[in-house]
Amino acid sequence: MSLEMRCRFVREAFSIEVDLSIASRGVLGVAGENGSGKTTTLDMIAGLLPCTSGSIIIDDEAVDDESTGRFVQPEHRGVATVFQGGGLLPHLSVERNLIFGRGRTLRASSRFDDIVEAFDLRALLAREPRDLSGGQRQRASLARAFLSPSRVLLLDEPTTFLDADSREVVRRLMKEWFAVYEGVVVLVSHDADEVDALADRSVRVRVSRGTTTAAVLSHA
Amino acid sequence: MTRRLSHPRGLSLIGLPAAALVIVPVAAVVWRTPWSNFWSAVSNDASRTALVLSLRTSVVATLLALIFGTPLAWFLANSNLRGRSLVRALIILPMVLPPVVGGVALLFAFGRRGLMGGLLNDWFGIRLAFTETATVMAQFFVAAPFFVVVMEAAFEQVDQRVVGAARTFGAGPWRTFLTVTIPLVGPSLIAATVLTWARALGEFGATITFAGNTPGRTQTVPLAVYSALESGDDSALALSMLMVIVSVAVLVALRGRWMGALRRGGE
Repeated sequence: MSLEMRCRFVREAFSIEVDLSIASRGVLGVAGENGSGKTTTLDMIAGLLPCTSGSIIIDDEAVDDESTGRFVQPEHRGVATVFQGGGLLPHLSVERNLIFGRGRTLRASSRFDDIVEAFDLRALLAREPRDLSGGQRQRASLARAFLSPSRVLLLDEPTTFLDADSREVVRRLMKEWFAVYEGVVVLVSHDADEVDALADRSVRVRVSRGTTTAAVLSHA
Repeated sequence: MTRRLSHPRGLSLIGLPAAALVIVPVAAVVWRTPWSNFWSAVSNDASRTALVLSLRTSVVATLLALIFGTPLAWFLANSNLRGRSLVRALIILPMVLPPVVGGVALLFAFGRRGLMGGLLNDWFGIRLAFTETATVMAQFFVAAPFFVVVMEAAFEQVDQRVVGAARTFGAGPWRTFLTVTIPLVGPSLIAATVLTWARALGEFGATITFAGNTPGRTQTVPLAVYSALESGDDSALALSMLMVIVSVAVLVALRGRWMGALRRGGE
């Protein structure tokens, strides 16, 4: 399991440069202030934004390479996401969210039951996201990500909007599941403590302001 | 002294004439409607023909707006193309254009000697002007922009993080559009459809100019009202009353969350 990213993103006055490489499974934490390009970085890995130049390689497969014109669509990248605020589909029940994109075979699997139990979602399966608390939403979002057969797991501020109690629960769940996850986890947060608590390795995004904003991430 | 924050005194009174100007005429229609023979006036042959034609053409025009307007609105909301605002301005134009001018424009485009009408006639022998098809086209021309404007605002409100999440969890672009984006704009879609239909049902100026006023072929209810009024026929009031009832029904149908969807332009 590996992730290699060497890429530049430019849009109008905003520009970032990302250079990171993770050679084995584990959790890479990315800490940095708001507006430093953390979410943009995750979007590029997920395939929601193309790199302006450079490349992204997941498990020796180039998923985005400006020099060859290769761009793998998000649904074919094997990337699972936990976006800020959960990113749950607001018109679907928790259950339909969990199986979204994979259908009924997953619903009947024991893995589904295990994860529903672990994330304490049994009683919430029929509810819609708008009827959940922030912590419940985040648990559902994490469960969906762990149910997805992914090579890379991207988390964007997974506990930022939670109260202290929910934050503890969600952190504990993340720790447990990171330990058994086979792929690469990239966790982004403005909170350096969170990154320290959850990541095996971490980098800080450095922001230098001039005519452009440049965020340089590097990790050997 | 009343214990509350003061407002500009008398301001709301100045608004009264506006309210009166809208309310009094509608009240007059209700008051003067010949209720005793209301049913026979709206169900006589001439009225029934106009009603059936109106219903048929307005539903077709609305369906066409739904089928072609939804992709257009999506394009306007999601494209970064340079010419986007020009396209939008051109599409909104019929909303501010006098409908009769729209009818003239349609005539010079699709009339027998029109820009495209000439070709259609010479090559295929198709004549559009003064047909039922022309009635549908006139209604579409005037009503579809409402649909596109409401739906563009709705598509713009769709949370792109949610759409992105759907993609990363394995749904392709079409599947995401159909199972995520469309349900998210659902309330607006319903509101826009009802509004568009109401506008198509009431179309007059473009229809009489481009499609004419032939009973049974292009004479829709508003045209029938106009003709009946000219000839001093009672059915003018009865049909007007019927349109008032339909309009009120539309407002009732649009109330609550659908009306909210119109105002906010989306979820």
